Amino acid sequence: MDSHPSFAPSGTQMQVPGMLDANLRVRGRVEYAMDAKLPGMIHAKLLRSPHAHARLVSIDASRARALPGVIAVITGPDLANRDDIYPYYGPIFRDQSVLVMDKARFVGDPVAAVAAIDLDTAQAALDLIDVEWEELEPVLSLDDALAAGSIVHDEPPRLGQTFADIIVRTEANSNICNHFKLRKGNIEDGFAQADHVFEDVFTSPPVQHVPMETHNCVAWWENGVLRLISATQMPFSVRAQLAEIFKVPQTRVRITVPTLGGGYGAKTYAKVEPVTAVLAQVTGRPVRLHLTREEEFVTITKHGMQIRMKTGVTRDGKIVARHSTCYFNTGAYADIGPRLIKNGGFGTGGPHKIDNVWVDSYAVYTNLAPAGAFRGYGVSQAAWAYESQMDMIADRLGWDPYEFRMKNLLNEGEPVMTGEPMYDAHFKDLLATAAERIGWDANVKAVRHGNKVRGKGLSVIIKASVTPSTSSASVKLNEDGSLQILSSAVEMGQGAETTLSVLGGEVLDLRLDQVSITHPDTDFTPYDQGTSSSRNTYSMGTAVKMAVEDIKQQLFRLASDDLEVAIGDLEVFRGRVQVKGVPERSVGYGDLVRKARAGNLLATAVYASNGGLDPETGQGIGSVHWHQAAGAAEVEVDLDTGRIEVLKYHAGVYAGRIANPAQAELQTEGNIAFGLGQALYEEMIYDGGQLQNGNLADYMIVSIEDMPRQISLDVLERHESHDIHGIGETSLPPCMPAVGNAVFRATGVRILDLPITPEKVLRGLRANARPQAHVQEIDA
Amino acid sequence: MPEPLRLFQPTSIEEAVAVLAELGDDAKVVAGATALTLLYRQRLIAPGALVSIGRIPGLKTIEVVDGELRLGALVSHREVELSPVVRESIPVVADAFGKVANVRVRNAATVGGVMAESDYASDPPAVFVALDAVVDVQGSNGKRSIPASAFFVAFYETALEHDEIVIGVRVPVPPAGTGAVYHKFVTRSSEDRPCVGVAGVVRLHADGTVADLRVAVGAAAETPQRFWDTEALAIGKPLDADLIAQVADAYADQVDTLDDMRGSAWYRTEMVRVWVRRAIESAAAAAAPAR
Ligand SMILES: Cc1cc2nc3c(=O)[nH]c(=O)nc-3n(C[C@H](O)[C@H](O)[C@H](O)COP(=O)(O)OP(=O)(O)OC[C@H]3O[C@@H](n4cnc5c(N)ncnc54)[C@H](O)[C@@H]3O)c2cc1C
Repeated sequence: MDSHPSFAPSGTQMQVPGMLDANLRVRGRVEYAMDAKLPGMIHAKLLRSPHAHARLVSIDASRARALPGVIAVITGPDLANRDDIYPYYGPIFRDQSVLVMDKARFVGDPVAAVAAIDLDTAQAALDLIDVEWEELEPVLSLDDALAAGSIVHDEPPRLGQTFADIIVRTEANSNICNHFKLRKGNIEDGFAQADHVFEDVFTSPPVQHVPMETHNCVAWWENGVLRLISATQMPFSVRAQLAEIFKVPQTRVRITVPTLGGGYGAKTYAKVEPVTAVLAQVTGRPVRLHLTREEEFVTITKHGMQIRMKTGVTRDGKIVARHSTCYFNTGAYADIGPRLIKNGGFGTGGPHKIDNVWVDSYAVYTNLAPAGAFRGYGVSQAAWAYESQMDMIADRLGWDPYEFRMKNLLNEGEPVMTGEPMYDAHFKDLLATAAERIGWDANVKAVRHGNKVRGKGLSVIIKASVTPSTSSASVKLNEDGSLQILSSAVEMGQGAETTLSVLGGEVLDLRLDQVSITHPDTDFTPYDQGTSSSRNTYSMGTAVKMAVEDIKQQLFRLASDDLEVAIGDLEVFRGRVQVKGVPERSVGYGDLVRKARAGNLLATAVYASNGGLDPETGQGIGSVHWHQAAGAAEVEVDLDTGRIEVLKYHAGVYAGRIANPAQAELQTEGNIAFGLGQALYEEMIYDGGQLQNGNLADYMIVSIEDMPRQISLDVLERHESHDIHGIGETSLPPCMPAVGNAVFRATGVRILDLPITPEKVLRGLRANARPQAHVQEIDA
Repeated sequence: MPEPLRLFQPTSIEEAVAVLAELGDDAKVVAGATALTLLYRQRLIAPGALVSIGRIPGLKTIEVVDGELRLGALVSHREVELSPVVRESIPVVADAFGKVANVRVRNAATVGGVMAESDYASDPPAVFVALDAVVDVQGSNGKRSIPASAFFVAFYETALEHDEIVIGVRVPVPPAGTGAVYHKFVTRSSEDRPCVGVAGVVRLHADGTVADLRVAVGAAAETPQRFWDTEALAIGKPLDADLIAQVADAYADQVDTLDDMRGSAWYRTEMVRVWVRRAIESAAAAAAPAR
């Protein structure tokens, strides 16, 4: 039973449930990578560095190797001595070694790996590995990193095949991992035009993705081919990386990906696969590595960030200049940080029409757990800064934050921060609806009863989807008229497989049960860049539609012979090709396939978006289209304790064409849960490089009890649009500033550092205790 | 291969105690296993043997006898929360257990477990301390009873000897007209442990003066904090805002608050002040019939 009603795409016979595998999921029947059991499979455990920054002096695994039940132990130095493998990986810089060879760069950096007949034995073996470390000065904060007293990576970065459009700008003898620049207009002139200039510093901490399923894979070697079943969002990127490590053609690596138990960006690029593959090679057996939750915490995080933002406005409320300096803490290894700083960096331009923008965005190495892709991809950090600052400016100048936004939001055709014109602009519609749903009133800032005070906050954001990018799909139409889609899209709970089946099936007006779709298998399913960046429904969806469209044209050619009519007079209807409007003159797809003696009709299509930015100015095509969202929150603050309750939340997002309404809503609700957790509770707390809350008892995400009693969603559709806008992330970044702005409006306390804890609010109340203008008193 | 963990499943208290006496510190009692599993997985404990007490009969009672609510050590949090006997006799006990974690944890966690664990950030201990509960324990030397206020000694440390197990908790049913409340204050998710938790018990004379006032503060320091001298100052006085503020300030002054991710020591002191006041106010409101 689905809680969401099924829907039928207009003009088709298709009935679409919320999600194809919902029933299986609820009954626990979905197979995940961790369910794979292979004959002779053994289990891996990693020995991790207890130090944030330490030179590996010596490592002796002989006692561990002697433990009965241990099949193999490998150490970093073992790998350094092998010339048949290249022991480095990383999507841009190959700065991460499969195991620590020279020095450990964060607490949790793996230095040895054990494979044993069971987990207890593997765990016991870890205690028998003797390691001598020489501690080095750790780089624990942004200040440490910039002071460059200690350097996380002493050697210049090892580059490898990577994104065609990546701009690499590193500095020797520094902890700057990469630098992105944006120069639009003339920043001096811009500030010269401004009547008021505001400068503020915003920070947000590293947080966790918390997928229910932690990273895991099984690897084995079969006739010289490396096989993996892995929970990854990017099978092709992982394949390329493993081929490079083992110095074999990509055809010698085969990766299959079952359903994932959530990803949120954590499972992009190689993570657990390289070390597992090496263990499988050394032992000649299938090896499973499945991280514990505690290990998951130090595997990948959201970037901690500091943004200094300076914005100039004119007396009549126009923003004329913005200068941002962004530091994204990428931790010990770059992962995708060198690229993410671009999106986070130009992201600070916001959804506003600003003629003069200057951005320096840096990825910075520190001795903390590596940071990488995280739902929102740098935009959450940027939006926390600019949407908070919008309200701060409005407050200082006595303007209504709603009007101030309306005055500056981009209109159709106006240039975005990368200089390209904004098409299909809906920022103002989204904001207007958000204000209406939350009951925005310019004249009432706060409503107080007793020791509780309520206030409302708004925000609007813009987000890019990875551009340029490529997806490809193959389709087969069988002799019974059923359609098979071969795609490398990863199903991770977002319903990719349902949506792609719909998008493919509707082209031929099939029923959903006539369409099937594969999981990724790099030997058989065509290339896809990865299931990330809210790109799948649009990018893979386009490839699937193009391929099925090709099949349709093949069918028309066959039917044109068969029915003796011109192709232009044909249409598809319920699994048959018919003469337009004349169902009596029709032929079934299966009949056409059989008559053609083709066995099946085949088609393949590639969708590649174009774009890229100028390395010096950051101007060009930043996104194939721009994702747009708004948020509105109403909070209640306890003035005695500072505790915040979010009473109402409204999320608005522009979807272009909605491919699946139930899933679009669920993605948006999921974003609210993510956003409120980051607004109010989430933060990885370090002390001297040691993570203090690396487990789910000490690290808090929202529970269902914490969700607002009232949630409203506005997934905006433009019916005439065929363009699908990804919505998997877009409604997340507005949450944090919407809540921060609501807290400010209620209490006059402005929090610049996430999360907005009761203690920070109480300190603020004690410090400024500013009487609020326009507070309405109501009787409790 | 590593030494396998030994598991004992005794069917009587005496048998359990005998195993504990024999194995000493190497053995750990396990009841609902909600706390123990975490400690074990995080390698904070490494016992050689587990003594599971789940098969011992007679430890699941919930009854009122001689003016006391008796809870057996193996009664689950969820059972306390839903028990009509508890709800009728001392509703605040049901309420406090109902505020622990989430329903999944409450279904497994036991009364004996929460006592023996002595985690500073648990909810039920403060309520037991405020209500003058008594913990019944049994060891090689037989049974003894320890007042709840003396049972919690320090972080994760109780008055239990290593061969003793908790067999139950007895809570005197307060006289009719007593108001008792437990306020759990969380600073993060609603499933978090408390930043502070305050149990307040109030009984008033017909003229509005205080007949009985008891306050215990949990999660703010190593063990639940109760200040009998401060309580005594209130007896016989009219329970007005000034008196309540005096008691709240005195608690805030006396609790040596700790610092953790849920709040700094400064913040906790302020929260003790707020929540002691609120606990007394709401306990007084619940005690209202006399007024
Ligand atoms: C996710 C999570 C959230 C939580 N949130 C809260 C919360 O909000 N508030 C709160 O109060 N608590 C909370 N807890 C703690 C929970 O209440 C305790 O874990 C539980 O009370 C322990 O009971 P148990 O029966 O599972 O004990 P076990 O885990 O079996 O044992 C705990 C300890 O007590 C000992 N022990 C158990 N029974 C006895 C006995 N009869 N005699 C002697 N020793 C014994 C064991 O040796 C062990 O040292 C939370 C726990 C979890 C896992």
